[in-house]
Amino acid sequence: MSFEDDFVEDDEMNMIDEDVASDSEADSLSDSDSENAITEKLAEPTKTAVYNRDGLLDKLQDISWPEDADWTHKLTVEIEQGQAVDVNDDLAREMAFYTQALEGTRQAFEKLQEMGLPFLRPADYYAEMVKSDTHMEKVKSKLLYEKKQMEESEERRKARDNKKMAKEVQSQKMKERAKQKKDEIESVKKWRKQRQQSGFSEKGAGELDLEFGNGKSFQRGGGKKRPGVSPGDRSGGKGKPTSRMNNKKREFRDSKFGHGGRKGLSKQNTAETTNDFKGGFRGGKAGGNKRQKR
Amino acid sequence: MGKKRKHSETEAAAPAKKDDSAPERPKRTLLGWKDKNEDAEESKAKAASASGFRNKEKVLVTCSRRISFRYRHLMLNMVSLLPHCKKDSKVEAKSSKGATLNELVELKGSSSCLFFECRKHKDLYMWMVKSPSGPSVKFLVNAVHTMEELKLTGNHLKGSRPLLTFSSNFDKDVHWKLLKEMLTQVFGIPKEHRKSKPYHDHVFAFSIVDDHIWFRNYQISVPHNEADKVARGGLDKMTLVEVGPRFCLNPIKIFGGSFGGPTLYENPFYVSPNQIRALEKRNKAGKFAKKVKAKTRRKMHELSNPLEPDEFADMWKDDE
Repeated sequence: MSFEDDFVEDDEMNMIDEDVASDSEADSLSDSDSENAITEKLAEPTKTAVYNRDGLLDKLQDISWPEDADWTHKLTVEIEQGQAVDVNDDLAREMAFYTQALEGTRQAFEKLQEMGLPFLRPADYYAEMVKSDTHMEKVKSKLLYEKKQMEESEERRKARDNKKMAKEVQSQKMKERAKQKKDEIESVKKWRKQRQQSGFSEKGAGELDLEFGNGKSFQRGGGKKRPGVSPGDRSGGKGKPTSRMNNKKREFRDSKFGHGGRKGLSKQNTAETTNDFKGGFRGGKAGGNKRQKR
Repeated sequence: MGKKRKHSETEAAAPAKKDDSAPERPKRTLLGWKDKNEDAEESKAKAASASGFRNKEKVLVTCSRRISFRYRHLMLNMVSLLPHCKKDSKVEAKSSKGATLNELVELKGSSSCLFFECRKHKDLYMWMVKSPSGPSVKFLVNAVHTMEELKLTGNHLKGSRPLLTFSSNFDKDVHWKLLKEMLTQVFGIPKEHRKSKPYHDHVFAFSIVDDHIWFRNYQISVPHNEADKVARGGLDKMTLVEVGPRFCLNPIKIFGGSFGGPTLYENPFYVSPNQIRALEKRNKAGKFAKKVKAKTRRKMHELSNPLEPDEFADMWKDDE
């Protein structure tokens, strides 16, 4: 039995723990040699149980409220029970209770509506609740936590599946490439053989009949493209493309003086600067450089 | 604190005045002007309440000493659910508890009592007693889950009157009928109690399964705009969220008097938890004795049926 702390968090709402911990086949209280275990209930009722029906009825009459009391005093609803519910089946039992309560509320609300009495709490009615706000915060955080766990596990599973798929796809691709390579080599050999056989004649029949597959064959580096790297670029071509989009002025200054400035062409005469009599880009360090030198 | 809402606010709105061509002149009384229609209604209402019935139920809630934390929390939950109850200090266990409790109930002027008794720090018994001469019932409480558990997420107004639902097998037998009546009186909040709140936003469910009474408390949540009208089909969208607490009552005995008196009913299927534990222990205790017996039996058996000499016993002796 888990008596750890006040706020018990059951893993499952398993109320069977304490109740029917010793629930197995039934047996009477007598000492038996057989190993049948004990239940909460006796199999056969003890013969000496008292059942004073008349007395009970008398008492019932005593304590009952008068017959003509309004239903609104009692607020009771009786619900027909469907079929007998197995006590040990948690889910079915709770469902039965839930449906009973739901049915009851529906009937009661209909009655109340007929009587014209208000029964639902309006949204702006603030009053003391039976559980404090701090407690409800805890409940909420717990629910969010559970939801997050579920989502994370879903994501993890998806990522795992994707990885598997990706691996398969990759291996396929490699195989294809190898095959292609092989094929191409084969075809070159065949062409050579053909030429040999036909005696190196310069005819068109001996033309290299290769298809330069999809126009991408024979590039150094396997055809991987890198964006063009300008000579002034210090980042080696790996710089962020967005940084070039912001501001022309900023860009210019960065390329000249930022992170070490341009690679070494800062004082060269370029086409732009030769024709620039007034000093070109004003402002910033462009002018300051000249002043410092003095 | 804001002004308390009077219960009359939530009562049925006074019937709309008849829209005649000319409004009737209000009647003048000592207390002010009274409309004739209103007057008629009021008098009728007064007559009804005068002839009937006011629910003056007051419940005294106490426990015994040496009660464990879970059951204490259950008792506190009950106190918060029933605004017509009074919580009292712990009662000494050993003395003749019937007499002391009866006195206590008289002193506090309550009409019923819920007494939680915890035995051996493990079992909880609940007495539900109607004073002064009413019947009393002793229950064994199982499967307790308090409101503090985070899995029970609902919440409702403190002190709002619950709707009570009973399963139909409460009408099957006399003792169930009596129990139903007692439960209604104890758990139903009196109509215009000072501490009760208007609107019905939670429902109690009492069901009998396997000769036990199961208790559940649900919050009613319906998407709605006004207090007394539900959108068409809104009732279908009603959902219940469990608030707690949860427990299961096993009736042991019903007595004629309060905390004692002639036994009117005894549950034939009831086995006290002590007996259950004793039986379990006895089962386990037999194990060692059985083992010893089995050993001696085996020895006797071997002695009485000696094995025949084995032909191949000396086969490997020569080999070395």
